[in-house]
Amino acid sequence: MKYRALFIVILLIAAFFAGCTQQAQTPAQPTEIKIGVIASLTGPASNVGKNMWQSAQVAADEINANGGISFKGSKVPIKLIVGDDESTQQGGQKAATQLITGDKVDILVGGYSSAVTSAYEQTVAEYKVPYIVTGASSPIITHRTDIDTSYIFHHCPTTDSYGMYTTTFIDQVVRPAVNKKIGAAADRPFRLALIYQDTAFGKGVQTAVNDTITKNNLNIQLVSQQSFKMGESDFRTPLTSIKAAKPDAVYIAAFPNEGAPLISQARRDIGLNTIFLSVENNDNAQFYKDLGQYGEGAIIESRFSPYTAPVGVLANTQSKFKNSYNARFGAFPDMMGASTYEGVYIAAKAIENSGTTDKATVRQALIDLNMPQVIEAMKGGTISFGKDFRESQFDLWMEQLAYNQTIGESRPTIVWPDNLKVTGFVLPDWYQPGSP
Amino acid sequence: MYDLGILLQIVFWGLYAGCIYILLATGLNLIFGVMKIVNFAHGEFLMIGAYITATVFFLTGFNPYAIILLSMLTLIGIGAIVERLCFRPILGTSKLNEIFLSIGLIYIFTNSAAMIWGDEWQSIKSPYQGIAVPVGSLNIPLDYIIIIVVTTVILCGLYLFLKKTKTGREMRATSQNRKGAMLVGINVERMDILSFGIGCALAAAAGTLWVVSGQVFNPYMGSIPAVKAFAIIILGGLGSIPGAIIGGLLYGIAENGAAYFLGGVWKDAISFIILIIVLIIRPTGLFGESGE
Repeated sequence: MKYRALFIVILLIAAFFAGCTQQAQTPAQPTEIKIGVIASLTGPASNVGKNMWQSAQVAADEINANGGISFKGSKVPIKLIVGDDESTQQGGQKAATQLITGDKVDILVGGYSSAVTSAYEQTVAEYKVPYIVTGASSPIITHRTDIDTSYIFHHCPTTDSYGMYTTTFIDQVVRPAVNKKIGAAADRPFRLALIYQDTAFGKGVQTAVNDTITKNNLNIQLVSQQSFKMGESDFRTPLTSIKAAKPDAVYIAAFPNEGAPLISQARRDIGLNTIFLSVENNDNAQFYKDLGQYGEGAIIESRFSPYTAPVGVLANTQSKFKNSYNARFGAFPDMMGASTYEGVYIAAKAIENSGTTDKATVRQALIDLNMPQVIEAMKGGTISFGKDFRESQFDLWMEQLAYNQTIGESRPTIVWPDNLKVTGFVLPDWYQPGSP
Repeated sequence: MYDLGILLQIVFWGLYAGCIYILLATGLNLIFGVMKIVNFAHGEFLMIGAYITATVFFLTGFNPYAIILLSMLTLIGIGAIVERLCFRPILGTSKLNEIFLSIGLIYIFTNSAAMIWGDEWQSIKSPYQGIAVPVGSLNIPLDYIIIIVVTTVILCGLYLFLKKTKTGREMRATSQNRKGAMLVGINVERMDILSFGIGCALAAAAGTLWVVSGQVFNPYMGSIPAVKAFAIIILGGLGSIPGAIIGGLLYGIAENGAAYFLGGVWKDAISFIILIIVLIIRPTGLFGESGE
């Protein structure tokens, strides 16, 4: 009996000390906040991937220059860790696994190709790591139901969003301009051709264009829809097919390394003298360089450009970011870089608001986030994620390119919408409409 | 129905693509014929040739068609070094050694190129871009006519070398019967190094024509063309140079035809569908001999 009492006393003492020990093991103030950046540092998408990684570094440097993230009354610096997805699904899987299980990052930022990003989302979902996707634009990133995407937040316009926006621009601006040029009646159907990358991204744009035309009953006829595989560099045959369909304009859903040769081959080899409309990821310095004179008259849907900015409050902040980037890397950031730069700020703000690195709490902070826009124009001037699919909402614009013979490259000017435009859209002299 | 002019244009794009494939596959076949080795890194020689042409073009502004000679000569040297240091030590050993060695070379060449030139895509502009020549109902860009002419000249030069020169005949003899060639006093090791060098030079020519045509290039560009070149030499017949030429043309036209009639995603698949059909009907390939 006395042994039993002694045993109970020992147990109680042990429990007391265990409690003390437990208290002592409560997460202490971290010495750094680890942000994992998934980017394509190698492979076909490396140009954009490096831009994303370097932009993230600019953001982290700026935050760390002010001491870091405010965390429980003191400042904690950010440590960025990059994971190279190698522009492949397997590479993405390796990068995500290493960052989550090896480097034990607190939060993830980045992701470019939708096909690559969606391949490793399963790992992110499994480990419940908050992930701010800043490049992959397919809506499936947060809409898919085969995995739990509740920890994934989308900070870039989706293909639904910019596909709809570009189609609306075609209907409201390009269609009347073409009708005016050829003296056609206002009800003449506009002949649009679509050429898209055969991936979630390209098909997303295809779906968005078709849906926008159908839902809004637009007077646009899709006369040709051609696909190509990711990384393609010879587009002459699908372009020949498109030319045969006699389009008034061609909408291209491609990466910049595909978009530039596509437009060059269309103008130079096929003689397709029409208006080419590109997706926002093409607003990239290398794209302008490769396009040269063939960029004349082309349109890019955009939200951040290396060579132009909308007038207003964001002009200075965009200029500051471009200058910081240029000073450090000797080049200009692109749009995917801009959203990744913001992604680091969003991650920092969410952790700051949480006051912890606990992933569930950080996720909730992202859901509740309402921070002022950083360098890109957001709807309502604030960054917040929608309740349904955790997507932030951007203000977009359309740019038209003009060839500058002195520098041997084209440069953009914002032509739409009215509140942001610097000049109006014009049809070039060489423009040839489709069948009247 | 289909417009004849458009179909002719598709065939022409196929001829252009076929020229790149022919040069790559002919070089690969020449090496296989003489050395009987499988080199999966052959596409990387195309990539290096492309970069040499582009680099010299950026530095000097010379006509890129003139730089093709420099690019080919450089690749003869690089090919000779690779043959001497990498392939000769394992010649006659297991095929697995050749496969793993060539896979290793892919990584070495790709990463070296990325280190030297960066791994971002690049492009150059031909001095003749924008010039088109009316050919019947077609308006053909001058660059593509030059590409077809250059390919024809290179192939004729190779034919004359193999048929009319003593070294060429020795090379063919080595290809037909290595032991027999040794017995009659042919230095087969010299033939190995020479065939490897010429094969690499042909890949360099393919790389130059690739960049001149306005296609973008980066250090990773070689893998897909190399796979297609292998499919072409299997289709045409292992070791058969006429087979590589016919196979290359067939592939170029079939790819572009498939892209037009079936959609761009079928472009690569159609080549392998043809390969499977040919292998079922004629396992030695179109021009191959049994036992290869």
